[in-house]
Amino acid sequence: MAPAERYGYTVARLRAMGNRLLDESSYQRILDSEDLDAAMKVLGETAYAAWIADLKSNREFDKAIESELLYVYSELQKFVPDKRLVEICRIPYDFHNIKVLVKSHILQKEGHERRFDLLTKLGNIPTDDLVMAVESEDYRLLPYGLHVVLPKSVALWEQAKNILEVEKELDDQQYLMIRKMGSDCAIPSILAWTRAKIDAENVRNAVRLRRIGVDASSAESFFHDGGYISKESLVALLSEPLEGWTKLVGFTDCGILIGELKELGDMNHVLVEMERVLDDYITKVLSKAKYGAFSEDNIIQYLWAKEMEAKNVRILLVSVANGTNREMVRGLLRRVQ
Amino acid sequence: MEQYLGIMLSVLGAALAAGWAGAGSAIGVGIAGESGAGVMTEDPGKFGLVLLLQALPGTQGIYGLMTAFLVLLKVGLLGGSPLAVGIWQGLGICFACLPVAIAEYFSAIAQGKTSAACIQMIAKRPEETGKAVILPAMVETYAVLALLTSIILLNSIKL
Repeated sequence: MAPAERYGYTVARLRAMGNRLLDESSYQRILDSEDLDAAMKVLGETAYAAWIADLKSNREFDKAIESELLYVYSELQKFVPDKRLVEICRIPYDFHNIKVLVKSHILQKEGHERRFDLLTKLGNIPTDDLVMAVESEDYRLLPYGLHVVLPKSVALWEQAKNILEVEKELDDQQYLMIRKMGSDCAIPSILAWTRAKIDAENVRNAVRLRRIGVDASSAESFFHDGGYISKESLVALLSEPLEGWTKLVGFTDCGILIGELKELGDMNHVLVEMERVLDDYITKVLSKAKYGAFSEDNIIQYLWAKEMEAKNVRILLVSVANGTNREMVRGLLRRVQ
Repeated sequence: MEQYLGIMLSVLGAALAAGWAGAGSAIGVGIAGESGAGVMTEDPGKFGLVLLLQALPGTQGIYGLMTAFLVLLKVGLLGGSPLAVGIWQGLGICFACLPVAIAEYFSAIAQGKTSAACIQMIAKRPEETGKAVILPAMVETYAVLALLTSIILLNSIKL
């Protein structure tokens, strides 16, 4: 079969799987639930039902969400012709696990308890292998350049005791890997997605840096290469009031969306709003995939939609459990498709 | 020798028509079938709709077979008593088969891709089945035009 059509089965199956994504009415029903038990009952009528049955208590809903995501990733890994497309989406989980392990390592050295419960199975590297590598300090077999970055991060901590530097090192490697894998795929739409993802992360970092009051002169190293927005423009954002950001980055789709942010209040509120806007930006970038009956970006688009669904479910359940204002929660929900 | 060469050129034309059109249909039905299998893995209830769309690129193969039959009937090979066919007449018959051979091959593949896309469409919106059938049927127009051309050309050659 010609390469152009080898995604026929995959895309058709993803389209059918897309019908099972939760819609607005499901979100609304969860949000309207009286308490967490009622919300879980509504969730039990969806694709998450299989995992809810295994929970000891409804408070463990995060396990059900993780199980559903794990199922989707494993299923796609079986039938997607180019496995790298699924792998690239799981990279952030690998780096999440690495961060958890590095921090656990640090905590342990300081006499605290390790937090292996924060590890996720959603990464490409089995958690047992990661734990073994960190425990034995034998990093040789770790992929994604971790065999170099991991000992470097541990050494960085031991020298400077600055967790921000360690996080920066690991984030740099994560986005380098995403960029590299995106380029290796040699698919323009995947490349555009990786660039958009880097932009989103950089803008998110700019908001975070501004919140903690980092000086513009030392901020450049917190931004990653490879996005549409240059590092110079990102650094310039830090000395500009938030209302003026669109002027500096308005030439990109990401910048246009930032301009749509309403009522910029305190930085915590801005960060929460910005997270939603940046997620919606990626959704918008990937939404073009629906026009390609045989295009590979449908895989990334579906996985992203599933991630957004999981994020929405998590937001809704946490809000219902804590009795958060429903109107505010509705504003936090991400666009799924 | 000349008599046999004319017949052989006619047979070549019939073989090209049936062969290329059949190959195109096989590829087209295969492409649509892959999409169909993808949808049915998740939703087996859509078998009827998927089958209808998957079958559409199969018509080109039938047109190729029909043309081959017409050629074989024309030169009398089906009746058991072959007619005397000159080289130029044989060459004419062979050329008359080319519209079917070429157009059916490419249109079947194109129709297969359209059908595959429409199968994906009904996976998402089953209520749009009517429209989903019309889109690949548009490709069929050109397969029918090629068949008509071949029939007209074949009829214009006098033996």
